[in-house]
Amino acid sequence: MTIPIQPGISLTVIPTEKFKTIRLFIRFSTPHTRKKATSRTLLTSLLETNSLNYPTQTALSAKLAELYGASFGLNVSKRGNLHQVNVSMTVVNGKYIEQEDVFSQAVQFLKEILFYPNICDNQFEQTTFELEKKNLIAYLESVQEDKQTLASLKIQELYFNKNEDQKTPSFGEVSDLEKLTASDLNETYRQMLEEDCIDIFVVGDLSPEVVQKEIAQLPFAQGLRQTTDIFYRQPLENQIREEKLTQEVLQAKLNLAYATNIYYDDRKRYPLMIFNGLFGGFPHSKLFLNVREKASLAYYASSSVDTFRGLMTVQTGIDGKNRSATMALIEAQLASLQRGEISDEELAKTKAMLKNQYLLSLDNPQSLIETKYLENWLPETKQTQKQFLNHIMSVTKEEVQEVAQQVSLEAVFFLDGE
Amino acid sequence: MNKKRYEQINETLYEEVLANGLKVYILPKKDFHKTYGLFSTNYGSIDNVFGYQGESLKTVPDGIAHFLEHKLFEKEDGDIFQKFGEQGASANAFTSFTRTSYLFSATDQVKENLLTLLDFVQEPYFTPETVEKEKGIIGQEIQMYQDDPVWRQFFGILNNLYPKHPLHIDIAGTVESIDQITADDLYTCYETFYHPSNMTLFIVGDVNPEEVLEWIQVNQAGKKFSETKEIIREFPVETAAEIIPFSAIQMPVNRPKAVLGIRGFQEQLPSNAKDQLVFRTGINLLLEMLLGNTSHNYLQLYQSGVIDDTFGFEFSFDRGFHFADFSTDTNEPDRFTESIQKILLNFRDDSEVNEKNFTLLKKKMLGKYFQSLNSLEYIANQFTQDLFGDYTLFDLPQLIQEMTLADCLIAGEQFIQNKAFSRFYLEPLKKEV
Repeated sequence: MTIPIQPGISLTVIPTEKFKTIRLFIRFSTPHTRKKATSRTLLTSLLETNSLNYPTQTALSAKLAELYGASFGLNVSKRGNLHQVNVSMTVVNGKYIEQEDVFSQAVQFLKEILFYPNICDNQFEQTTFELEKKNLIAYLESVQEDKQTLASLKIQELYFNKNEDQKTPSFGEVSDLEKLTASDLNETYRQMLEEDCIDIFVVGDLSPEVVQKEIAQLPFAQGLRQTTDIFYRQPLENQIREEKLTQEVLQAKLNLAYATNIYYDDRKRYPLMIFNGLFGGFPHSKLFLNVREKASLAYYASSSVDTFRGLMTVQTGIDGKNRSATMALIEAQLASLQRGEISDEELAKTKAMLKNQYLLSLDNPQSLIETKYLENWLPETKQTQKQFLNHIMSVTKEEVQEVAQQVSLEAVFFLDGE
Repeated sequence: MNKKRYEQINETLYEEVLANGLKVYILPKKDFHKTYGLFSTNYGSIDNVFGYQGESLKTVPDGIAHFLEHKLFEKEDGDIFQKFGEQGASANAFTSFTRTSYLFSATDQVKENLLTLLDFVQEPYFTPETVEKEKGIIGQEIQMYQDDPVWRQFFGILNNLYPKHPLHIDIAGTVESIDQITADDLYTCYETFYHPSNMTLFIVGDVNPEEVLEWIQVNQAGKKFSETKEIIREFPVETAAEIIPFSAIQMPVNRPKAVLGIRGFQEQLPSNAKDQLVFRTGINLLLEMLLGNTSHNYLQLYQSGVIDDTFGFEFSFDRGFHFADFSTDTNEPDRFTESIQKILLNFRDDSEVNEKNFTLLKKKMLGKYFQSLNSLEYIANQFTQDLFGDYTLFDLPQLIQEMTLADCLIAGEQFIQNKAFSRFYLEPLKKEV
């Protein structure tokens, strides 16, 4: 059940006896920009490191240990046009440890973190600021050491090349980070608390009344909170963007980006899910079977869709000399789906896999939260479990074929060895 | 079927050893949509020299356990993923140093999926052609890991600590070693290690245990297995003197990565299972006191910029080996490894090792334990490790509560020795002038 706290702030309680824990999750959402992404990422490091009343990491960690090893962290993410700062905390349900007030203490802890940060005279404490900034710069510079991540960031940069904000990852840019000051971050903090939309979630064996009473103690400011269209759209371009990067790697990566123009609130989302499952979403998909298993060209070859940006990506790890063979095979798989070459068995299998995936997600506290978050933002898409499964099950071959015909290749990124 | 009730964690576990030797665990979990099945053999990448009591031993190519894992998915009539797909389940497998495990997650057709799991693992199909074809895929997998600095860092320190022991070899082997693998080799390994008496089956989900056990019993009764023979595994004997104290490699990374390792020796271990579990728990608590994020040592290293959030440590305890590794990205690898080594060697006199911290960290450990029980996969994986005899994952809360500070100090005496340390650095490529 979802309870409005004030305009732009809501509390959703998901009572369940399944878990031995209680999960608290607070998400701050704002229109994504390059500048905000960078400063908000640094803000999460600062808020996670210490606070006014827990001035060192060890004091903060000791409090978490005291709360029976509560898990706590902040991170950033992106969905369509939104930039999100996520605060999460998981505590053991008090009944297992004979400490009934553990949830109440967890809320008090989050209150310290969010409302009493280590700020003095309108700026973050200087030593912490300098150290966390330095650490974050080092971290961002090392992100590309993971070559799958590098390839995935590069293909997005290429696909969104005309939009400075959208091509920036959720964690921002090192060059922007270097310029930030301790007082800039105070402003970032203030803005987030006062202007972001806030979705609060609690999952576990607790009554909504108890949860509401505790959450009411968080002193959120009254104000106008900025909302936006969650979906990002961009026009098609008539030329495919290509980029090749050479680094000292053994395995090459070939990543592709396609425009789908299909969004979360569109009925075509369901045929798109089936299409993706058949194309490269599952181990029985055409990419897995033909690129990896039959041609033995790759260790991984898969596809995924983003229905908040109308995007589909394909990712492969291959031997660099097989680039054109791999490319031809990927195109052949898509062409086959465009011709509607889908057996009844393949269709049934993909539906069964999607159903399984959906039901599995109901066992995961964070998946339950993500579904509710989208219901808060897109109330018109709200549906029962049965309705969702009916949508999946009723997709026809022709609808899948139509989706396959609608996707268009926009960008190709290739990482090769020297 | 043996039924065991664990009040403190509110779980009931069912256990049975079948006539063919297969050990079966069933854990009912009300309200979960998911049923998770894990079928695991006590056979991993390090088991490369083996045989039966009284017979001569065989040596097989590195990476064969993992290769076998891949090949079991392929049958004469196609890929087993297809069958799981038809039954709406997702399936996977993984190979570690000491185990190979096959699994499915399903929300429907649990019986069909469980029987598919048993049948595909118990009906091998290897031909020279399918074996050859797999070499390309696994070659790609090996290369992918070779490009991963974290993986290279881990195997870098293992190579120093275990220069002869197969633990230092990549689980998937090397491109050269897998090239030697034949279908006959796969059958040899299969027949030795996939005997039911060397395997464990764990089922967890919203199931009826009696019914599930009957499915398994009927399935197993319809198959023939050779008689149970005792498996012998042989490993090179190594001494502390053979540890390589330092090595480094260069890779395209931005900052140096440093690891400090300590090798444990099996002869230092207590002999009975419970004492070994106390030892493992004791080391974990001791390391938390000395270097965990509540310690002054950690704060000091963090604030002086020697470590950052990439710092981490782990104590690994498995069949036949145990070691600890401490790693970080840092611009001062020497200062990092020297500081950590000094802190560890000084554990007896460190002011952090006191009753107050011990009590706090026991509390933390207990809480983390309860959080981990949300994951059905974690529960199943832990159970099939089967390292401590009758002591299982579900006995841990009581054991944690009974731990004393003295247990930690005794474990430290057994494990932390100056001669057992090694350092490994992964450095950025030198810029060409």
